[in-house]
Amino acid sequence: MKAKKLLKRLGEFLDADEKTQYREFTATKKILKALKEKEDTLKEQLLITLDAQERSAIQTKLDVIYAQRKKGVERVKQLKELERSGDGDAKDK
Amino acid sequence: MIRKFTFPALLLALAYALWASADFVEIAAGIALFMFGMLCLEAGFKFFTGGPLEAALRISTDKLWKSLSFGVISTTMMQSSSLVSLITVSFVGAEMITLAAGIGIIMGANIGTTTGAWLIAGFGLKVNIAAYAMPVLVFGVLFRLRQTRAVQALGDVMLGFAFLFLGIHYMKIGFEAFQSSFDLSAYAIAGFLGVVVYTAIGMLITVIMQSSHATLLIIITALAAGQVSYENALALAIGANLGSTITIVLGSLSSNIGGKRLAAFHVLFNLITALFAMLFITQLAGLVDTLAITFGIPADDALLKLALFHSLFNILGVMGFAAFVARIESVLQRLINAHPQGSQYPQFLFPDALETPATAVNAVSKEVEHLLENAFGLLAHGVSLRRQTIDSEDSLSKAVQQTRRIFLIDVDDDYEASIKGLHTDIIAFIASAQSRESNASANERLFELRRASRSIVEAVKAMKHLHKNLRRHGLSANPAVRARYDQIRLQIAQLLREIRKALREEPGELVVLSLDVARLEQEKIGKQLLLDLDDAIRQRKIPVSIVTSVMNDEDYAQSIGDSLLRALAILRSAGWRPSSESLALSNEDINELLEK
Repeated sequence: MKAKKLLKRLGEFLDADEKTQYREFTATKKILKALKEKEDTLKEQLLITLDAQERSAIQTKLDVIYAQRKKGVERVKQLKELERSGDGDAKDK
Repeated sequence: MIRKFTFPALLLALAYALWASADFVEIAAGIALFMFGMLCLEAGFKFFTGGPLEAALRISTDKLWKSLSFGVISTTMMQSSSLVSLITVSFVGAEMITLAAGIGIIMGANIGTTTGAWLIAGFGLKVNIAAYAMPVLVFGVLFRLRQTRAVQALGDVMLGFAFLFLGIHYMKIGFEAFQSSFDLSAYAIAGFLGVVVYTAIGMLITVIMQSSHATLLIIITALAAGQVSYENALALAIGANLGSTITIVLGSLSSNIGGKRLAAFHVLFNLITALFAMLFITQLAGLVDTLAITFGIPADDALLKLALFHSLFNILGVMGFAAFVARIESVLQRLINAHPQGSQYPQFLFPDALETPATAVNAVSKEVEHLLENAFGLLAHGVSLRRQTIDSEDSLSKAVQQTRRIFLIDVDDDYEASIKGLHTDIIAFIASAQSRESNASANERLFELRRASRSIVEAVKAMKHLHKNLRRHGLSANPAVRARYDQIRLQIAQLLREIRKALREEPGELVVLSLDVARLEQEKIGKQLLLDLDDAIRQRKIPVSIVTSVMNDEDYAQSIGDSLLRALAILRSAGWRPSSESLALSNEDINELLEK
């Protein structure tokens, strides 16, 4: 049991890079969710706002969030690809 | 004058005593080795304060039992209540933990420090401790010679323990030999007078040696050799406790108000505990006898009973104070207040904040925010708006349009008074922090914060140039010129409002990402300004002589925006965040959105 634990620890140490990627993956997913919530709130606000200047300000925020989410989704895809190719490499070996 | 001669006189007296008595040499060498051991321990443990200690301190703040346990465990491990107390003072000073949490840790450290007496009385004097010291010393030196800093620090800790053991050994030999030639027990004083006199002696020894541990070593070895009576030894232990407050008081002199409040509590706690122990010494000694039987300590084992007494009165003190922590905290906050100091002076850069990398980073971060606060006032006045207007929900475009007078401020003077000095202090503090023991992430963060401080200075410098033209053309009779300058002022005012909003929020990735909106707005306004300017030139609404001024001033406004947003992104990022970094918009992304 102890030897298994030690081997697991060693594996974790050697896979530090993968661990960083996984942490980035979960952190990005979390922030994407928060951005989506913010986007939904802004969309609701836009529906009830009549003032042109305020509407323009909300639209700018929405544009920025949309662009950020687009980048985030692409990054998540990239990280998934990296994970898959890492698995593939391991299997080839 | 007296101070000048005290130290040389003390050295001469010590030299004479060392020359006159061979036994005194053993005792003095024992104390010196013991204290050197403590210095090595402190140096070794200080390296590890960059990580686990700080993490433990942060999570040990929410409940009293957690901070108490932290104080007990850390002091037991490090065998130095001074180090734990000083680090706690620096954390409270840097506002990383609350005063109540600091109080808990200090109380815990008071209990933890009593383990030293158990170590000396139960282990140090009963076995040949020097035999254990030798192998530890050999391994300690080997570790100390390695290249890796962590291994070196481990070597310091090992050397520390080895020298502590050797110190105890030499003290034991010294007092045993001293016993045959000189009998100090003849000076024993019975009754309450004895308690007062020996408490004062214990306190004096601790003040001179700056270590209650070293005093306890002297007391226990002297007691073992029969040089002091058991009753007087108890009083000496009370004095040692009282004397240990001096270290934290000296440490807090350079601290800010938080550190001073904590030091005041330490003095209060030790003073009241000591008074209680002095007044009820007979009852406490009786309780020690009863507990000794329960714990199986032989009735004639004065050494362990002394250790038990030391622990007992500290535990009783903690039990007495624990229920009133919240009340003590509010009283201290009410009684000890900061003298109002001008905003041009640093508010967080105190020498004790340099104690650990985390406190240094936190202090610099808060000071850069303070610099940004000063810059905010200057920039708001620079565009002739009051701070309150920016902070309110009022329409900024109306406030700009309705401006009837340009604030006649001297940006140069204001820069010298509230920005330059503070920026210089921040740079100097960062240099001091980087020259100390640190870690890569703290150094990286300090480097970023220095960049943030410089960006704020750049924004103020840009305002210097912009304000000159604002004074000339800001309220121009020519409506087209006035409209251009109103637009520039509005651009800066809107940005300042966004910055104030972001500063009110907790650091995090969402705040950093929200700054992209401000960047896009800035670019939009800048683009619109250029289009309007082209139009005004074509229709000859603006004299050519003023056009270049407007163009330059638009550049300054853009530069102010860029600099402030850069500084704010650093302040609100709280370190490297891979997710927000990959989601944040690049200049190309911003341009793409502008095209839309």
